[in-house]
Amino acid sequence: MSFPQLFRGQSVVYNVATMAIENDLDLMLRVRDGDTASFEILLRRYRLPMVSYFRRMVRDQGLAEDLAQEVFLRVYKSRERYQPEAKFTTWLYRIATNLALNAIRDRKDEVSSTVGDDPDGGTEFERFVDPQPTVEQRLVQGDRERLIRQAVEALPENQRAAVLLHKYQEVDYRQIARILRVSESAVKSLLFRAYETLRLRLEPMLREGRI
Amino acid sequence: MKCLETEKLIGYAYRLLDEPAASRVRAHLGDCPRCREIVEQHGRLDAVLSEWKTEEPSPEFDARVRLAVEAQKSGSNAWAVWHWQWARGLVLASLGVLIIAGVVLFTLSHRVVPDSSRVAEQKPRQATSAQAPAQVANFHSLAVPGDGSSSPVQAVHGNKSAVGFTNEDKVTQALEDYDLAANFDLLSELPKGEPRVAN
Repeated sequence: MSFPQLFRGQSVVYNVATMAIENDLDLMLRVRDGDTASFEILLRRYRLPMVSYFRRMVRDQGLAEDLAQEVFLRVYKSRERYQPEAKFTTWLYRIATNLALNAIRDRKDEVSSTVGDDPDGGTEFERFVDPQPTVEQRLVQGDRERLIRQAVEALPENQRAAVLLHKYQEVDYRQIARILRVSESAVKSLLFRAYETLRLRLEPMLREGRI
Repeated sequence: MKCLETEKLIGYAYRLLDEPAASRVRAHLGDCPRCREIVEQHGRLDAVLSEWKTEEPSPEFDARVRLAVEAQKSGSNAWAVWHWQWARGLVLASLGVLIIAGVVLFTLSHRVVPDSSRVAEQKPRQATSAQAPAQVANFHSLAVPGDGSSSPVQAVHGNKSAVGFTNEDKVTQALEDYDLAANFDLLSELPKGEPRVAN
């Protein structure tokens, strides 16, 4: 079945119903067997999580969509080799994370000004801790979201990926370990350091929130 | 009271601890306002981080993915077709080479190697056979005037000037004609040298 056909007649009804009851693994196995409609369901199910993940990982919104598209394309290309050994999302986010990290490294010159060489982002840390008036001004400007984004973007790549997966994609830390190919204790360590750094960087906002 | 490690507090705040460890932290927080403050700050941080929203993908995103997938599919098909055509071409080319090789081998195996002595013999023989009826007629014209007991060869040599043979080729030709004349005798079922029996 071609994609345009999915939008005609009963195909839509079938797919909406199917989306609710079928798990990712079954859908992916059907994609492996050549069922394009199942791929369409996976696309609809994960289009927003993928684009959101990339938008938080890389700043460029156009690049985020390009990378998300590349994830789906790679899923489709490797459908015949797909082995249901792990959760579908583990595979999906592993592809996405690798793409994102490569994209960040490709744009290293551009990103280095915010990330720095310090694993805990020391340069950026100073920027957030010291200037309380600046934070106040930014709060006045209603720019809280930008401050959060900058704080997260200032994290080292692995910490950023771990926090984004854990906090925004709601991925369990055990699954994050498989996505990042590190141990579970290593993931916990990444998350501890990342959340503590964020707490310190966004402390003015946390005080504001308490008031 | 000694405060807990920050990692345990963060682990508790983000539900990263197993239940026994979480119970120990929970018990500690009841007695330690400093640790409780850190956990509460992380609770607030969690709420603050939730303020970072992302937008929906652009309207053309799905269409772009579909196009990319369709292009990949057609690319795969084109690749398969190209492969099939390539394989077909290879088979046809192989067949052509085999046919040509077969023809060449057949030709070589049936080729007559030219022998200089045989070529020398064959050339006049071919010429003689082409001229056979005329030569036979000449032979009979040579034999009839004689006494009938002399051989045609003798007749040829004896009447050399009469028939106008002037070179070696013509002598050879006459020898061949002798063979032909002998055959004529066999065909007539007459013993050589014997007079014809009248009916």
